[in-house]
Amino acid sequence: MRRAQWVVIAFILSAGIARADENPAAHGKSTYGLAGCGLGSMIFGDQKGWIQVLAATTNGTFGTQTFGISSGTSNCVESSGTQGARTFIEGNREALAKDAARGSGETIVTLSAVAGCKDAKAVGAVLQKRFAQLFPGEKTAVDQVSENVIKELRSNSSLACGKIG
Amino acid sequence: MRPARVALLALAISTPGFALAEEAAKPDPTYLPELLAAAGNRSLSEDRSWLRLGHWRKRLLGGWESEADGPGLFLSPQGKRDPAAELEATLNGFFAEGDGAPVGPKLGDPSLEHPQCRFPARFAWLAATLRIDLARLPPRSCPRFEAFWRRVSARSATLVFSSYYLNNPASAFGHIFLRLGKEELASGGERLDLIDQAVDFAAVTNTSNAILYAFEGLFGFFRGEFSARPYFYKVREYADYESRDLWEYELSLDERQLAMLVGHLWELGQTWFDYYYVTENCSYHVLGALEAADSNLELLSHLGPATLPADSVKALFANPGLVRAVRFRASARTQLAARTAGLSGTDLDAVQRLAEGRDSAALDATSTPERVRVIDAALDLVDVRHGRDIVTGADPAADVLRQRLLEKRSAIGVPSPPLVIPPPSAGGPERGHGSMRFGLGAMTSREDGSALLVEGRLALHDLADPPAGFSPRTQIEFFKLRLSVADRRRALRLEEASLVEVTSLNPIERFERRISWKLRVGATRVVDDGCHGCVAGMLAVGGGPGIVSAGGAFSAALTADAELLAAPELSGLSGSGVRPGVGPGVLLRLLGTDRVALVGTGSWRWLPLASPRTSYELSVEARVHLGAISLAARWRKAPRAEDVGLVLLIYRG
Repeated sequence: MRRAQWVVIAFILSAGIARADENPAAHGKSTYGLAGCGLGSMIFGDQKGWIQVLAATTNGTFGTQTFGISSGTSNCVESSGTQGARTFIEGNREALAKDAARGSGETIVTLSAVAGCKDAKAVGAVLQKRFAQLFPGEKTAVDQVSENVIKELRSNSSLACGKIG
Repeated sequence: MRPARVALLALAISTPGFALAEEAAKPDPTYLPELLAAAGNRSLSEDRSWLRLGHWRKRLLGGWESEADGPGLFLSPQGKRDPAAELEATLNGFFAEGDGAPVGPKLGDPSLEHPQCRFPARFAWLAATLRIDLARLPPRSCPRFEAFWRRVSARSATLVFSSYYLNNPASAFGHIFLRLGKEELASGGERLDLIDQAVDFAAVTNTSNAILYAFEGLFGFFRGEFSARPYFYKVREYADYESRDLWEYELSLDERQLAMLVGHLWELGQTWFDYYYVTENCSYHVLGALEAADSNLELLSHLGPATLPADSVKALFANPGLVRAVRFRASARTQLAARTAGLSGTDLDAVQRLAEGRDSAALDATSTPERVRVIDAALDLVDVRHGRDIVTGADPAADVLRQRLLEKRSAIGVPSPPLVIPPPSAGGPERGHGSMRFGLGAMTSREDGSALLVEGRLALHDLADPPAGFSPRTQIEFFKLRLSVADRRRALRLEEASLVEVTSLNPIERFERRISWKLRVGATRVVDDGCHGCVAGMLAVGGGPGIVSAGGAFSAALTADAELLAAPELSGLSGSGVRPGVGPGVLLRLLGTDRVALVGTGSWRWLPLASPRTSYELSVEARVHLGAISLAARWRKAPRAEDVGLVLLIYRG
């Protein structure tokens, strides 16, 4: 009986660890989202398997250092100007891509305000029209996507995005 | 003079027209003893505002102790247990020479900053309370705090409740954090909440071992820290990738209270608190920070022994007028439901085909608005199914699928109309019943005659409890105990004890075929011939298909169950005290408005190599809800038990 108990415990422990190994993002095997301010690195980066579930249950978080109130040195907290626009695009990449394909939505309204663009509807129309070039899918690094979008907003003078120089 | 200091001081000091000294002005050392004496005369160290700023609580055996466990919140070495010593050290520190800003590598170490800069809320409060003459104690410039102040630019504070969402057992109790609102509006008048700062108190975890994790979380081995990040990270994490609806409660704090809140959060950012999953958790310390910002608030006193996020929302409402607006932000699943709600059968077929990477010939023939609706719904479905795997790179195929769909949608070149989602009719957590439950009643059984019943539960909700404010699909209970005293025996007997009991009802729907499941860990009295009424430890799990009608009025599940009972007297597997059992289980539940609930369960067990070889149990419970109390009538039948009981249930916060 005692042996059986230990087998069960060992199984549960190893299951937790084995699941941990399945997340490629946690081991740098993947290029997904690990640069810039993307969700991949900022939110999900080093959480693993079962721990994700437990972290959600117990409201735990991994390494808040980046977002520490008095120690926070990250660029990913800016909310204005070019860096603000970059942070916003990277942190909302997937949601923004969806809104861009739809030509409207909260992330477009917010990005337009952060970048100081005159009219969010016009921004939505431009992002939708140029979607395939601006958002080529997750295999493209997140900072490339933010670069694409900012360049587009800058170059299109009719959008008058005054806060991103 | 930079804006942060101007704002904080101007708000704190009620005397109008005070003069601010020059940057380089030196403090007047003769002023310090005057201030210390004034603070002493007025017993400021026992003032509730001061005690709240240091998070000191009365100790059981007298004296004070701060809940802050890191050294960063104290200037005095005795600070944790001595509010008076800390007050003296604080006033002393405010007179320190030098500028507020160390440069270079020292910048990373907040403890090297000028005390005025480390404790802006203390400074503001003391300046106002002692009417400090700022010509004799000139304020320092604090570039780091001022950067934080600008980043936050708080014009409102909102408590955000991230829902214990039905579909996600991981979010068992929910989460609480603050959103400090900039209250900026877009040119079209839309709210720009996404770029607000979210301030969060969470456990900083360091183990990837699930068991250790749970253990350390329960018993205070993790440090809890405050952190601040743009709100959009929270929205993406919770609403998008964990599919939890967000309820937002905007607080009616005035400018001065807001400034105190921001200043105090800065102070809290320098320390840590031991994190206890059940008590000193996110809710507790977020409410503690609010109390420090406004000493008139009574929040923590409204919490029970287990501090649940839902209870902290109710604590807000216990302060009349504190909540000035409630907003609802729909999760990914809620959005998907809204997008598919008006679609026809053919459209739904098309949504499914698209989300599985197939083409839909029927779709190409339809009108543009219809195609937009279908593709938009399919995109949401792909995100609900694969969103997180796409972000973490775990599923490249799903990414290709999503990208194709996005390009297909963008090619239509028409903007989608805004999706307006009203808050769910069951309401937010503030409408929910109290999480603790006590019960007193009587039962009569064929075996024992009449008996008195006493029961209690620490948290949170079962399928027959009042449904308002809760998900109709989830039962989650912690620490439940049911005792009886029978007339004939005149001894207290354990009927049932649960450490944890969870049921998650998931309808098998067109787009999501997830099974319903249940889990129970605890102890129960054996009611068959396995032993003579012994109490056995119990681990039970089950899973299977379920249905839940819209709104939750009718639900049912058919499960395959497995359980393990263990007790020394039990004649279990080959005569041992351990008895495994497997078999089917069924659950039915009817809700009649918010007032009546009927829950029936049945199970049959095959008990291999044990005696007896089979067992069963049937039960029905009807409940009538009358405000903060409910009446329950129960009937149960098992091989060695048939009883009927009537219990009065009382819910408390």
